[in-house]
Amino acid sequence: MRHMWTVLALVTKEFRQVFRDRNMLRLIFLMPFLQLVILGYAVDTDVRRIHTAVYDFDRSRLSREFVRSMSAGDYFLMSTSDRSVLDLDENFQTNRFNAALVIPRDFGRNLENGNLAPASLIVDGSNANSAGIAMGYAGMIAAQFNRQAAGLAPSISIRQKLLYNSEAESVYYMVPGIVAVLLTMITVMLTSMAIVREREMGTLEQVMVTPISTPAFILGKTIPFAVLGFVEMSLALAVGILWFGIPFAGSWPLLYGLSLVYLFTTLGMGIFVSTITSTQQQAMFFAWFFIIFAIMTSGFFAPIENMPPVVQHMTYANPLRFFMRIVRGIMMKGAGVNTLYRDIAAMVLYSAAIFSLALMRFSKRHR
Amino acid sequence: MGNVRFIILKEIRHILRDPRSLFIAILMPIMMTFLYGYAINLDIKNIRLAVLDYDQTSASRELVGRFYHSGYFAASLAPADMADPEAVLKRGDAHAVMIIRGGFAEALRGAAPYQLGLLLDGADANMSAAAASYSNVIIQRYLGESPGVGAAGRGVALSQRVLYNPDLKSSHFLVPGLIAIILMMISALLTSVTIAREKETGTMEQLLTAPVGPFQVILGKVIPYVGLALLDGVLVLSVGVLHFGVPLIGSSLLLLFFGLIYIIAALSLGVLISTLARTQQVAMMAALVATVLPSVMLSGFIFEIRNMPALLRFITMLVPARYFLLIMRGVMLKGSGLAVLWPQAAALVALTTLLLVAAVKRFRIRIG
Amino acid sequence: MMDYAVVIDGLSKKFGAFAAVDGISLKVEYGEIFGFLGANGAGKTTAIRMLCGLLQPTSGTGTVNGFDINREYEKIKPSIGYMSQKFSLYGDLTGRENLQFYGTVYGLRGGRLKGRIAELVDGLSLDEFIDRPTGALPVGWRQRIALAAAILHRPRIVFLDEPTGGVDPVFRRRFWEILYRLADDGTNLFVTTHYMDEAEFCSRISIMHRGKIVVVGRPRELVASRGLRNLQETFISLISEQGTDG
Repeated sequence: MRHMWTVLALVTKEFRQVFRDRNMLRLIFLMPFLQLVILGYAVDTDVRRIHTAVYDFDRSRLSREFVRSMSAGDYFLMSTSDRSVLDLDENFQTNRFNAALVIPRDFGRNLENGNLAPASLIVDGSNANSAGIAMGYAGMIAAQFNRQAAGLAPSISIRQKLLYNSEAESVYYMVPGIVAVLLTMITVMLTSMAIVREREMGTLEQVMVTPISTPAFILGKTIPFAVLGFVEMSLALAVGILWFGIPFAGSWPLLYGLSLVYLFTTLGMGIFVSTITSTQQQAMFFAWFFIIFAIMTSGFFAPIENMPPVVQHMTYANPLRFFMRIVRGIMMKGAGVNTLYRDIAAMVLYSAAIFSLALMRFSKRHR
Repeated sequence: MGNVRFIILKEIRHILRDPRSLFIAILMPIMMTFLYGYAINLDIKNIRLAVLDYDQTSASRELVGRFYHSGYFAASLAPADMADPEAVLKRGDAHAVMIIRGGFAEALRGAAPYQLGLLLDGADANMSAAAASYSNVIIQRYLGESPGVGAAGRGVALSQRVLYNPDLKSSHFLVPGLIAIILMMISALLTSVTIAREKETGTMEQLLTAPVGPFQVILGKVIPYVGLALLDGVLVLSVGVLHFGVPLIGSSLLLLFFGLIYIIAALSLGVLISTLARTQQVAMMAALVATVLPSVMLSGFIFEIRNMPALLRFITMLVPARYFLLIMRGVMLKGSGLAVLWPQAAALVALTTLLLVAAVKRFRIRIG
Repeated sequence: MMDYAVVIDGLSKKFGAFAAVDGISLKVEYGEIFGFLGANGAGKTTAIRMLCGLLQPTSGTGTVNGFDINREYEKIKPSIGYMSQKFSLYGDLTGRENLQFYGTVYGLRGGRLKGRIAELVDGLSLDEFIDRPTGALPVGWRQRIALAAAILHRPRIVFLDEPTGGVDPVFRRRFWEILYRLADDGTNLFVTTHYMDEAEFCSRISIMHRGKIVVVGRPRELVASRGLRNLQETFISLISEQGTDG
């Protein structure tokens, strides 16, 4: 009973401190909006509208037809260049064009005579990803062009069916990721800094000389950030659902319940960082280090399947990896415990281990 | 100027006396380079594909072989179930299921219209979009080479050539951007926090009562971080060039010069933030929101600026990392010089001047 | 056997090879204002922090209010108050908010807490300053609010580490008047200071030098035994003697 009041006093105190600083408050609420809006609109890794310079030295009916088939389908944005091929390098260096199609003389005549008609596509490879995709598109278009020229209609087509995200919107995929990332960032960073701040400012000593118990102190110090984390998460979800119209397929209680479990990992990490640092700068640095590792190996930006095997094994050391899969699974696929149990088990294990480790390391008395 | 040296020395002592932070300041860029170099592979590969082949002809098997040999698709973790083809997607064992109904081989010879079925897990929109376009590419190429078409020495023979990065390595694209981000993190984040720290713990008052101007105080506090940022930049560059084989074609001197200008822009941002923040927590959060996030998301580092909506494209013009990134990529990968890069260079210099003036002004007002 | 407020025996604290406190022994009775004197860096703060359960001793034993400082250090805490050398209340909270927080932590609630805060505001004449953020207050008022936080729960012993550092003479005098009143009410005070005029207010003092207690006694008796005029001279002569030895 007594402990409960102590925890409440700490929580009240902590909230007073956070809310007294208007700038802090603004930032805490600005962050999810900014992240969502920027990521929601910026993330479009689809490679389209590749700016392509056309050097058509043939100027025949067939060469124009080939150029037209290249520009169909929104893959290439073709613009004719009147200048010589020699300005190609300059065009690439200034980023005016990322690809160039060169059609030599006699292209049309070769085709009409049933010969091989060489043409070439030159691609700016500095963005490896879009260059590779552009080459794939070009090859496909050339093949289609040939099939049509041979009088064979494209009788084989693909009928695609997208499950879970039928409009293939990146936002649908990013928002659940952002929810997981925000929760991690806010809680690890603010918890570690809040505890170390008391040490740095000397206020911790005054608290440690009171009969406050370690669990009460830890709870009082972490609950405010858990609450803030949940508020951030809910804001991100609200913006995602109301503004971007992302669907929510799964169970709300399951999402919040498992988030609470995950919070033990991040809050524990925050406490742990605070036990190995003595200034806020250090704490921020250590927290950063953890967060960057966690985000980069979580599959947030780049799929884990793409990583080399060694890195793939490393991702198992990252609790965020499991939470990311859980959030995405619940929100997008409506997954429940029966399909997510492996990830849930791993996350529970991490939460228990990290939080206990943090509690063990935290001591009221200096050695 | 002697006073500035004194403050610089004090700040360097602070940094050196805290070996753990220094260790992280040096380890973090290296870790990030390795992670970006190895882990962040933006080209989507190894899409897990399950196949339900009801045609069972050599033509259908040839098609399946082409999918798996393309490098884009890999075998699924479990085979698809004929009764419920979607289950394998829901469990996450596959990203795509291809269904080849009977009649594929006949259709290939032009008999009748035919549809291949492709079930995609849309949860990862990028992956499913890539899977869709890759399968289109593979099928069209297969059709293009099927009997009766281009194989007999007829039709367009499109040869393709890649400039600057013939092996199409992601790291060549990412390392220059990573340098821009790390310089921003070290410069803006650290300076805003270290200045806020002096305010929070009350030592700033002490410093300002000493016979040094506020400008000198800031200069002194900031110069050591220029050194640290440069050290980190060189570290990332070395790992990128030596380990990942990222080319450095253009002038290193040019890189260093613009690196310095960019660092000044970042430090000015850091100082600006510190004038708004009374505590280190606020400084850290503000630096995160105002400098690090835009540098990652709005600089063209990962997300292409030309794909963004107009308003965001406009905002990217205010992000120094955007210009520095183009300069870095131009100089490193394409060997560009000022003759080509002058618009970006001019924009970066203008933006830096603006930030520097704003930082000095605001700092004066705060102190005075 | 006598009931002592503080008993320490051979207490030491080593930081690496450096002994900040080097085997000190001491007995403080209830009802005393005990002055814990020493030059800067003599080890006073380290010793106090061990007594308050903030720092684990390297060796030696001791009790505070009858509780063992090695094993029962958490039990010591409800019965002591501590005012550290550096202002350690929350600067961004008001005095009242700070007192509410600490009061609750010490188990005071509701009407009792309100009453106690009102009593302290009244007794320490804090009414003008209690509702402003403590970080913006003049040092003297900050110290008073810190004292209020230390005695909020009516501890039997209050440890005060340089409570009047950086405070003008008028404020210091008033602060000591408050301490006297506290002592009259039966609170045991354990004060470190390097103001010799303050030390003369103490019923007994000890002088510490380089981690060791050089001498313990009543201020007047110490001055008399050396045949000097005042405590200041006594202190200087004792310390310089030690300095040539060590």
